[in-house]
Amino acid sequence: MAKKKKITYLNPEIFKAKDNIDWKAQGKNLKEFGACCVDIAKTTNWKGYKDHMVFLVQNDIERIAGEAKDIANMTWAERKDLLIDGEKKLGKLYRKDAMATARREWRGVESTLIDFKYWLRMWGMLLTTFGKDLVPALNTTLHYRWMISYMCCVGFLDKNVMGQRGKALKMSHLMTYDIFRYVAENLVIMAKCDAKNGNSEELNKKIVLIDEMTMGQIIAGFPDLIGVPYQLFPVFLVSEIDQLTCVPYIDAVESFGLPADTCPVPSSECGSIVIDALPHMGNAFISSSMPCDGSTMASEYMARRFPDLPVYHLAFPVRYEYEETVEDAAADIKGCIEFIEKQFNTKWDWNHYFECMKRFNYETQLEINKWEVNQTAYPQIIGPSYELFRKWNYEMDGGCDPRVVPTMEKVNKIMLKAYQNKEEAWHGKMKYRGIVWSCPAHYYANFSNWLANCWGIDILVEMESLNYTRPLNTDNEELALQDLGKLYERMVMRRHTNGGYKNVVEELWRQCEIWNVDIIIMYQNVACKNMATLQGILDEQARDKGYHMIWIEHDLMDPRTVSRKDMRGKVNEYMRTVMKAEPVDPTLLEFDDEKCV
Amino acid sequence: MKDLKHLIYFENLLEESSNELIKQAQEEGDLAIGYTCYSIPEVLLNVDKCFSVRMRAPRTGSIDIATYYMSNYTCEFARSLLERSIEGGFNYLDGVAGVDACSMMNRFYEHYELLKLNEKPNLFVTHCDIPFKTEEWSLNAYVKQMRIRLLDVMEASYGVDTSDKAIRKAVEEHNEVCKIITEIGNMRALDNPPITGYEFHILNLVSYCCPKKLILPYLKETLKEIKERKPDPEPWYRARVAVVGSEIDDPSLTKMIEECGAFVVSDRFCFGSTPGREVIELNDEEDALTQICRHYMMKSECARWMADSKVMQRRETSDMLAKKFNADGIIYEQMKFCDYWGFERALVSHIMADEYGWPVLSIDRPYNARSSGQLRTRFQAFVESLEIKNIQGGKK
Repeated sequence: MAKKKKITYLNPEIFKAKDNIDWKAQGKNLKEFGACCVDIAKTTNWKGYKDHMVFLVQNDIERIAGEAKDIANMTWAERKDLLIDGEKKLGKLYRKDAMATARREWRGVESTLIDFKYWLRMWGMLLTTFGKDLVPALNTTLHYRWMISYMCCVGFLDKNVMGQRGKALKMSHLMTYDIFRYVAENLVIMAKCDAKNGNSEELNKKIVLIDEMTMGQIIAGFPDLIGVPYQLFPVFLVSEIDQLTCVPYIDAVESFGLPADTCPVPSSECGSIVIDALPHMGNAFISSSMPCDGSTMASEYMARRFPDLPVYHLAFPVRYEYEETVEDAAADIKGCIEFIEKQFNTKWDWNHYFECMKRFNYETQLEINKWEVNQTAYPQIIGPSYELFRKWNYEMDGGCDPRVVPTMEKVNKIMLKAYQNKEEAWHGKMKYRGIVWSCPAHYYANFSNWLANCWGIDILVEMESLNYTRPLNTDNEELALQDLGKLYERMVMRRHTNGGYKNVVEELWRQCEIWNVDIIIMYQNVACKNMATLQGILDEQARDKGYHMIWIEHDLMDPRTVSRKDMRGKVNEYMRTVMKAEPVDPTLLEFDDEKCV
Repeated sequence: MKDLKHLIYFENLLEESSNELIKQAQEEGDLAIGYTCYSIPEVLLNVDKCFSVRMRAPRTGSIDIATYYMSNYTCEFARSLLERSIEGGFNYLDGVAGVDACSMMNRFYEHYELLKLNEKPNLFVTHCDIPFKTEEWSLNAYVKQMRIRLLDVMEASYGVDTSDKAIRKAVEEHNEVCKIITEIGNMRALDNPPITGYEFHILNLVSYCCPKKLILPYLKETLKEIKERKPDPEPWYRARVAVVGSEIDDPSLTKMIEECGAFVVSDRFCFGSTPGREVIELNDEEDALTQICRHYMMKSECARWMADSKVMQRRETSDMLAKKFNADGIIYEQMKFCDYWGFERALVSHIMADEYGWPVLSIDRPYNARSSGQLRTRFQAFVESLEIKNIQGGKK
């Protein structure tokens, strides 16, 4: 058998770029950090801490004793099932006031081995990646508190695959691995570039900062440059790992004067600017009006914070389905390309762009294959890992990274095998077919995973996955620009919430038909004006069409407005009172995860 | 000062979403086109037999039904318009010139169509796309939208003449109104002006809410009257303030500010006179539509414009107006739940204070603010602080 060619992506020279660390400043920062630690140590209630530790030990003893007793009371058949298919009462993994679960999940022999294998692989990748330039990467933790939250990333992985077994578990791990690799590499790059840290002049010359709400495909035409979704790592993504990360940002910007009714995404972005949580880096910034009014305004805060950073505002037509706006979007793309060319003294490379977009088109086809399987009676590739992967692949990667293709191919292969075997992602739990609509909070709250484990509601697809699927032009420069404009206009969220109510209301009914859903999980971000203004229409039409629509209020990354527990309560209430249903796992009905990452 | 002859008449015209001049014009065969946003060039709605009506929901009470449709954390202006439409308050409109510039207002237009709140057979509702930047191609896009999504629709629905000649004629009439309002407005710069901010707000609003040809004679007469009007021997105000921010169509807010002792010398808010009452200068070399779009694009002060030049323009305009009209301070205001002005107000109220040196009062307010005791207290406190600054010689 021919040996597979190893794909090298991200030029290794990037990580070798010379750092220019100001050690004197680092010493000063370390001193400040040390003073903070001393302060914490002085103000800590050590007796309370000791009591808590004693409580934890006692709690562990009780838990272990309880679990041993449960096993002792089991029949041999139940014990065999526990051995092969793992535990079923997942609510017991949570512990009040704890940041992590009480222990790892027992998934049965085979799945636990799979889980362990991929867990090891993940740690290996993380250590290798950070090891490429360890000093600035580690030093970041002394400058930014959000970096500490990334220490919990493997816990995030565990959370997202909770209850999954066999092939579904394997697929989730494969996809998460690619996302984590992307994040780890970018974190190292950010650490190297940050003026307060690595301060690599050589690398900064190549860095195009891109607004986190803007797609990354434009960088495909600049193979010598690196596109970094700027706020993604200090704000958006980390808040999915640790629900408390954005709270200080939101508080800071609201104290500054921003009304509390604005969407937590741009609010957090602006708040991170207020408390100086963004690394000082890059050679230019691509801001954007997408996906909504709040995001448009956040660009003003960025320009104010970093006045020396040249900014290009990508601002596409809102009524993107008007034929006459196609050339306007293309003109904006062209303007952006010219801006980057000028700023970085480089040229747009059509060949490289076309190569990446061919890859992106292929990836889109692989994505559609997944949808086809999920539309059948035996959906295979579902859950938060997949949802996150789809979003990342569509929005951030965008065909740039060739290492993603083998992952997707492998996942699709496993998926087809599982489909042939009529397997279930959550073994024996599926009772309802669900669709998620509106601005989703499932990552912050691990919601689709909980829905499947607690009530057997399998989320087959979510609104944010259903974006532009037409192949992008890869041979005609003019048409390619138009296609890229169309793609950007249909970015995650914007595709539905902009351009008229039909894109989100009528589209929902169309998708419900296609996916044959029983239940609509209608997220209600209390601050999303685009969606909130359609609440009555959605409600009325759902009633007319006879859909079960469960409204779940949330405030994205601000869990203080609506807690995870309150969100789950909405589903519990609906399932009990309207559906008269019994939970698949009653231990997940009520549990405390207010502090859990 | 002696009361203005037509003030009560003007106030009455603003008491309803419709008014007797609108009815009169429609009886004469004219078409009423409603709009809410400066991004729709008002003058284009006054071509041929059409006349523009700035949509308002005066004396708004409960907005419960609109809140059912649009939820409670959304723009009260949009919700009030929906409520008023559901009540039948906008049945008389022959068309609605909407823009998809602000998502909440756009949803109002959509509900207006979706709930079939006006069943006139030829009714049209547009959703024009408005650029965010001021590039040359942004202007082309703007022109295209106004032609395809507005003028062509007016022509197709009612056979309206939207030719260059018809547009230029509308500009002439528009400019006549603008000149009068500007002349009256400029009198606010005087130390002891013959007009109050409230009166000016009323005059400016009727110019937006009534058919131009019917309101013009009244405005001309009022201008003459104001020119001859004798102010009281001493100025009535304790401080002079410029108001900057989002939409205010309720003159009672201006009245409340003035009751607290602050003379509103400048109205840099949506549907104030800046922008909105600047004369449109046309040349013969370029088509009128392009020139009009350029005028609106460059004059607009909406926080939605992302271009760096527009961001700076907004700050400079506020500063320039406050200086021109000898303001003592600036009130930055924002309608509750307005994303654009929420972000803008939070940031720029600091900038105007820290970098431009203006005393600033930063507020958010409900659509219907006339009964807000909280706002009244804040205005009173601001006036006192301005007075103290003046006494201490800290005036800018």
